[in-house]
Amino acid sequence: MIDFAIKFAFDIMAFTSVMVLIVLGLGVIASMMGIFNFAHGELVLLGAYTVYLCDEHGLGGWTGVILAPFVVGAVGLVLERFIIRRFYATPIIAMLGTYAIGLIIREIVRGLLGGHYKAIPEPLSGAFAVGGLEFSEWRTFIIATTLAVIAGCYLLLARTSIGLRVRGALENPMLARACGISTGRLYALTFAFGAALAGLAGALIVPLYALSADIGIRFLVQAFLSVMLGGVGTFEGPVLGAAAVGGMAAGLPWVVIPVLADPLVFVIALAIVRLRPQGFITVGRL
Amino acid sequence: MTGPNLGRRGFLSSAAALSAAGWVGSVAGGLVLRPGWAHAAGPIKMGIATDITGAIAPSGNANWQVAQFAVEEINKAGGILGQPIELYLEDTASDPKIAVGNVRKLIQERKVDVVLGGITSAMRQAIKDPIVNRGKTLYIYPQLYEGQECTKFLYNTGPSPAQQCDRLIPYLIKTLGKKRFAMPSANYVWPQLLNKYARKVIEANGGEVVFEEYYPLDQAEYSATIGKIKDGKVDCVFMTIIPPGLQPFVKQLYESGFQKNGGVLTCVYYDENLLNYHPAQEMEGLVSCLDYFQAVDDPFSKKLQEGYAKKFPGTKYLFTAGSASTGMYRGVKFYEAAVKATGGKLGREEVAAAMDKAVLTEGPGGGAEMVPGHYHAKMNMYIAVCKSTDGKTRYDIIDKASMVDPREC
Amino acid sequence: MSVATSAASAPAKGSPKPWPILPMIELATLAALVATPFVLANRPELITLMTNILILSLLAVSFDLCWGFSGIMSYGQALFFGVAGYVIALVGRDLEFSQMWATLPLAMLVGGLLAAGLAAFLLLGRKTPTSIFVAFGTLTGAYAAERLVAGWQYVGAGNGLSAIKLMSLGQYEFVEGFEFYSVALILLLIVYLVSRVIVRSQLGLVLAGMRQNEERLAFFGYRVQVFKALIFTFAGSIAGLSGALYSYHQGFTGPTNLGPGLSTTAVIYCLFGGSGTLIGPVLGTVAIELLSYVLADTDAIKQYWTVILGIVLLVVVMFQPTGLLGLVVSSRERIGSFGKRGAR
Repeated sequence: MIDFAIKFAFDIMAFTSVMVLIVLGLGVIASMMGIFNFAHGELVLLGAYTVYLCDEHGLGGWTGVILAPFVVGAVGLVLERFIIRRFYATPIIAMLGTYAIGLIIREIVRGLLGGHYKAIPEPLSGAFAVGGLEFSEWRTFIIATTLAVIAGCYLLLARTSIGLRVRGALENPMLARACGISTGRLYALTFAFGAALAGLAGALIVPLYALSADIGIRFLVQAFLSVMLGGVGTFEGPVLGAAAVGGMAAGLPWVVIPVLADPLVFVIALAIVRLRPQGFITVGRL
Repeated sequence: MTGPNLGRRGFLSSAAALSAAGWVGSVAGGLVLRPGWAHAAGPIKMGIATDITGAIAPSGNANWQVAQFAVEEINKAGGILGQPIELYLEDTASDPKIAVGNVRKLIQERKVDVVLGGITSAMRQAIKDPIVNRGKTLYIYPQLYEGQECTKFLYNTGPSPAQQCDRLIPYLIKTLGKKRFAMPSANYVWPQLLNKYARKVIEANGGEVVFEEYYPLDQAEYSATIGKIKDGKVDCVFMTIIPPGLQPFVKQLYESGFQKNGGVLTCVYYDENLLNYHPAQEMEGLVSCLDYFQAVDDPFSKKLQEGYAKKFPGTKYLFTAGSASTGMYRGVKFYEAAVKATGGKLGREEVAAAMDKAVLTEGPGGGAEMVPGHYHAKMNMYIAVCKSTDGKTRYDIIDKASMVDPREC
Repeated sequence: MSVATSAASAPAKGSPKPWPILPMIELATLAALVATPFVLANRPELITLMTNILILSLLAVSFDLCWGFSGIMSYGQALFFGVAGYVIALVGRDLEFSQMWATLPLAMLVGGLLAAGLAAFLLLGRKTPTSIFVAFGTLTGAYAAERLVAGWQYVGAGNGLSAIKLMSLGQYEFVEGFEFYSVALILLLIVYLVSRVIVRSQLGLVLAGMRQNEERLAFFGYRVQVFKALIFTFAGSIAGLSGALYSYHQGFTGPTNLGPGLSTTAVIYCLFGGSGTLIGPVLGTVAIELLSYVLADTDAIKQYWTVILGIVLLVVVMFQPTGLLGLVVSSRERIGSFGKRGAR
């Protein structure tokens, strides 16, 4: 029974790690620019698709995993420059606009994939044993990478001058601009960064879940709820939110029948957000 | 998420639903194929309603191509009693909502004499009313499914649960010696009804169902399930999970060492196409039961494959049993036989009466016979095991049952 | 049809009013729609298509009432559409009852109640919600409902409900065709007129104020959230009516009928035609559905039709927020403007 609990916890942690990466990207964009990027799921899809392309052309899985964040980050940058920045003044319209972008990306990928589901082999296959329990190597890698990314982000924000500027713009963009911080460029960078995180998440998760045009959607609403739950405007907020939503999603099926548990997670999360709109950690301005 | 490259039963999809793809506009691909020598003296109009776009596109395109192939053969031989067949295609787009509108086109605009198609049960349920009731037209459903479709003027040419389970399960229990079954399933109608039937057969043969569980289609984490399989000392997993939850489950099952410890994975919708959804090592030892495998050593089937490959060289849509293609071939040929029997009359009542008794002497995997009054057909069923060599998978046929009774209606 | 362009829309100031185009467009559309079944008398499948378009435009109008007139971005309008559709199908299946004089009002009641409930949860209460939260709340509502229904056997789960009992009036049963078209057109006309009266009334003035600057209106003493809830409920009942008609007409309803997918399609219809004008969504639905029907026969386009629609939405949102109507109708006359609102 303990064995099972540990294995279960481990698998959930791996899944939550990926959620955290996605939510982090989404949260950073929501906090900084105040818009909810509905195309975020498709950015994850693009990351996965990059890995698939690399695999198809014989470049190997690792190349894909390393390339994905950069490719998707670049895509994010282009999107931000030409399209997204028009939406900053009207967040509601941003939802629509980014939804349209997501739709376009998703259907193009669907056309390219021909509706098939593709299996991608994981660059690190196999398992290693610790204390009689087997742990998948790839899932361990996912957890490790996420921890590294979180640590790296924290250091970046807390210790570097860029981080200082980002934090400033997060807290009060008007004042930041008055101080000479170029918020326009900062926004572009932030969006690209959020996109890169999504791409990385996609690259990490795709060996586990198989590639199809719809993998982005399943993360989207959960990710949004996590961000709203955790609180916009901070770094830790979305992470906590992801943990909460992930925990609920994993735990509820033990208590209620799975058919009910699925939508119930969303209803509960929504109710919590309604009661505490600022989320768990309250700093942000949304 | 959306369905698989093999759909059938009512899968539909929370997620497919999510993909706005379906709902945006009614995308219909009306297409007509008319042989060169079609003359005004009443060609026979055959409507094909299948998923050319969307999640089930891989299966839909396969059975559209097979339909074209079969009809071309018939027309080359002079049509049915001198009348050529005109093929009309409408895309059901893997979305029952769009399908309803497009199927109506076939009936109202093209005025076809028969409709063949629908892959998932959800699709069949959606389009059967416009075709059979409102459209008063004959409908042939070509895919393996959960049974219990006993609508008048609706003929099923794919395998039923009885055909798939009646020999497979005794094989698993008696020959392979696996008595403890687990039934992880996707949460919709096909697994539910199939499991009900399979459970009866399992228990009748001395086996035991340790647990039967249903998951949302896009479930990604199966630790709890794998745990139950280990704890319950399950040695045979009778799986009815479909994509997208399929790949994670199979991978997690494999990683838990299930097959290494002698466990057997069995799934009745696995054909050659589906093997490509997984790394080869995860597929080793999988047992499937279908009406046809490409490995079947039957000269007619081999000829069919050659003809198909010649008409569609290098196509990625394979002529396999999982994609409703074998049922589509049978459906077209049954219709041909029925119209021949009525002497060329195309009225629904007459053709149905003739189809009820139709017999095919040859087909993919062997011939088939309609069971009069039961809307289903007897056909050969094969049990096959997947073997992998050097990362390539193939099926080895280990059992053949001739003219198995569908036991429906 | 023309309660003339009144004070509700044009600020009463100096410059001479241009010829009111909107009523002319409305009349023209009505005339075209009335003439359609006669023109298409020998193309039954086109009458079916037009009937569908009329029914869907009801949904688009209900969305317009929320967004174009009141500034509520409802991402889940299809929730009421779909639930009403399911209720109708269930009533037909379990109670074997489909008399339209009872079931259509039932659908409106269901849609309205559900909308009221959702509005109460999202809008009312001590804390005023941000508009992002409301938008997101409606999306989540539709999404959760879709997942719930897709897993629930009683309502057919993923298969949905098919072979829905035909809508009837006494002994007469409505199948697709001229009669159903007439029913749909009459209902659309009634709903349209009622909506038009509402948005031109004093209530409409409040809505216009809400749309322009919510905070300011609140400072005037208006309980903005209550008004929003009211209009949301009304729109919900219209969406419910639309859903019931759709179920009866198509004979099929499934989980996709309540989800974000259909909701967004309604948004596209409305935005494309021109939100805030009531006739815009109708025209938008007609345009997009006709276009997809016509283009669908072209192979190359068919594969990427959804991509094209996505691009259309993006272009409309970015460059022509006032939609098609914005090209011909002056912004003075339009009963509402899409443009920039204070980010809340």
